[in-house]
Amino acid sequence: MKNVKVNIKLNGRKFEREVEPRTLLLDFVREFADLTATHMGCDTSNCGACTVLLDGKPVKSCTVLAVQADDREVRTLEGLGEEPLMKRLKEEFIEKHGLQCGFCTSGMLISSYSLLRKKSDPNEKEIREAISGNICRCTGYHGIVEAVKSVKGETAREKLPESPELVRR
Amino acid sequence: MSSITDIVNGKGRFVDDISFPGMVHIAFARSNYSRAKLLYVKGGYTARDFPYFMASAGEGATEEDLSLRAPVLASKFAAYLGEPIAAVTGKNRYEAEDNLDSVEIDYDPLKPILDPVEALNSEPVIPGVKTNIISDRYVGKEFSAGEAEIVLEDRLENRRVATNPLETRGIVAAYDGTKLTVWTPTQSAHSVRDGICESMNLGKESVRVIQTDTGGAFGLKGGVYPEYIVAASLAMKLKVPVKWIETRREHLMASRPGRGVVGNMRIHAMKSGVIKGISGDVIVDAGAYGGASWSSGWIAFQITGPYAIPNAYFHARSVMTNKVEQGPYRGAGRPEASFMMERMIDLLADEIGADPLDIRLLNAAKDKFRSPTGMEIEASAGFMARAFEKMEYRRLARESKPGISCFALIPAVSDGESCRIKVERGRINVWLGGNAHGQRHDLWVAKLLSGKFGVDPSIIELQLGDTDMLKEGVGSWGSRSAIVGANALLKVADKVIAHVKKDKGAYTARALLSGDYDEYEYANEKGMLISFCANLAVADADAAGNVRVSKLKAYYDVGKALVPDVVVSQIKGGAVQGVGQVLSENIEFDQDGQLMAASLSDSGVLNSVQSPDIDVYLEEVPSRFPHGAKGVGESPTIGVPTALVRAIERSAGIRIRKTPVSPEEIVNARSRVK
Repeated sequence: MKNVKVNIKLNGRKFEREVEPRTLLLDFVREFADLTATHMGCDTSNCGACTVLLDGKPVKSCTVLAVQADDREVRTLEGLGEEPLMKRLKEEFIEKHGLQCGFCTSGMLISSYSLLRKKSDPNEKEIREAISGNICRCTGYHGIVEAVKSVKGETAREKLPESPELVRR
Repeated sequence: MSSITDIVNGKGRFVDDISFPGMVHIAFARSNYSRAKLLYVKGGYTARDFPYFMASAGEGATEEDLSLRAPVLASKFAAYLGEPIAAVTGKNRYEAEDNLDSVEIDYDPLKPILDPVEALNSEPVIPGVKTNIISDRYVGKEFSAGEAEIVLEDRLENRRVATNPLETRGIVAAYDGTKLTVWTPTQSAHSVRDGICESMNLGKESVRVIQTDTGGAFGLKGGVYPEYIVAASLAMKLKVPVKWIETRREHLMASRPGRGVVGNMRIHAMKSGVIKGISGDVIVDAGAYGGASWSSGWIAFQITGPYAIPNAYFHARSVMTNKVEQGPYRGAGRPEASFMMERMIDLLADEIGADPLDIRLLNAAKDKFRSPTGMEIEASAGFMARAFEKMEYRRLARESKPGISCFALIPAVSDGESCRIKVERGRINVWLGGNAHGQRHDLWVAKLLSGKFGVDPSIIELQLGDTDMLKEGVGSWGSRSAIVGANALLKVADKVIAHVKKDKGAYTARALLSGDYDEYEYANEKGMLISFCANLAVADADAAGNVRVSKLKAYYDVGKALVPDVVVSQIKGGAVQGVGQVLSENIEFDQDGQLMAASLSDSGVLNSVQSPDIDVYLEEVPSRFPHGAKGVGESPTIGVPTALVRAIERSAGIRIRKTPVSPEEIVNARSRVK
């Protein structure tokens, strides 16, 4: 099949590439943009290590084609690094032992961040449900839940700068 | 090693993050059958290109029978589903997988032998051998039933479980004409080096193995695999860097899973509950080839656990089947042994109507005890009494139906560990033979060393495993790292201090940091270090057989907890793995030998909604080592399954004999009871 041109706004920067139509968003992000925070853990959208934000919503980038993200906005962990809410989450992940090996962490952070943007003071059940698409084999989730619990209130309500409206063509 | 800050910032360097210009990706053509003659193999790189056999290296390495060595690539016969047969390359993963179409394999499928008990007496599962039994030992001392008033028998089983770290296996290899460099996530860089060297007949100086940030391991990454030999060989042959990253499906089919053990146990006791003896068969589903011969005898050795049982005698066999070789999974024999013992004690308690704690206390060691298999334990009775008082067993037993378990953890301290400390330009770098993959070795290294040297912990940096930076090393497994690693660390620190004194007359932190020092030691360790642990669980099974775990508790003697919250975090994570083994984790095949678990979810790993929390209580009785630590990493996967199985059994009113126990099995067993 012929290569197709895709144009993705990735972490605020435009990335235009000719790709094979079968190219996964995950591989676009990792291989073309060299952003390696996003990981492949299972290839079958079970584990969530590949979670990124597509137009502000968490998706598993191993089951999204790069062409599906054409003309849309993608944010990976690297692109959320300076967000006050994400910074707080990262601090709490370290503090509460929300990670051991760290392979699931990028996806966990993004799912947790998405939850806190929707709901600034979630209870434990809501947290566990929000991260249930992200598998962690090390921590048993306890430290992750505690980390998310401890980030709430003002920081969580802060707006994502240039907050992406849902762009549908 | 990437710091924890790097990791949360997405700046970790896992193996798939390593890339070189011109690098090619490898994909494997694998057997579609669990057992088949290969009539021909055409295309790709085949056994003709890599005429090697697998070496035994790393955790559970054995002096194996040469006729049982697995080929790196199968050529005439496929002995398990997913066995690698040919390799192809491509400029990326997509192209490599496309190029698998160029490989043609003609199979003559044979009926696979998947059940280890059937395999005891069946025709050989691989050609060229006379029997499937690769290890056959009697452990303990034969005894007569004698005065025992009660003899109870049961067949117990732990099905196979995939290790399933979130990062699968993977390797990058590059060759510069004289030296092969390998980057891989591993529990032991030295085992990977030694395995490659032995398989390919290379000198140790010509291979460098560098550990990448390691995304979990749980036993998976302690040794060397056929795919690694192929990658190493291809890097040398093609003279370009190569990469192979395992898919999850490959992981479930063709990497080494743990457990897979059947026990036919017999307990001999008095009506009072005093256990006179335990005996039976231990049969390990070793999978194809000879790599997993180690575990049956090891399981039998420790079955009596924390109890003073005067007689024990086991027939321990490891048996080949048409499945991938068994490997260590967090606990590696310890959970299986404890499952046998604890299930039989509960059976006895039910038979005589005794309280499960009373019967454990009755049979606990009141003094030092040497088991008939040679396992030496300290008195365990006091520990058990303290543990269940702290976990409020008596109170909980009045209001619910808790399951309990006790076990003796035997960390793999033998063989010791190596360490190197290099002081240069005011900074201190440390290498350990057994490195971290999530256990935060960096914290105890900084804590112990800053205390010893009187320096700020921020100038101490633990490096990843690297065979060029550290001469020899063992590995991180068997609950050993903090014990033997910290012991080696403190010994090398002493050497550094002595060196500073010699140079400068007296030791001061300033004198240390103003000089250059580089010391190494391989601190060997003899003898065992056994600690006691206990668990409690409360669970309910609803009408559909779905289990809700409402309470989990752990009371473990961890010695001195070097970094207490890391110890607790290890226990909490391991506990969920233990719950997974009981409720859902399983690598099952259908009768034709096709894999039933095609994805991470199918293989039963628990998500956040399914995972209970656990209350952790630490007892800190210092060990004989200068740092005082004992083992911890494997404890929760030993004690949680046994306690939880008992809690489900009591709640559902059925007898549970195997893990996992599915909702259907609970419902069916209940309907038989009624």
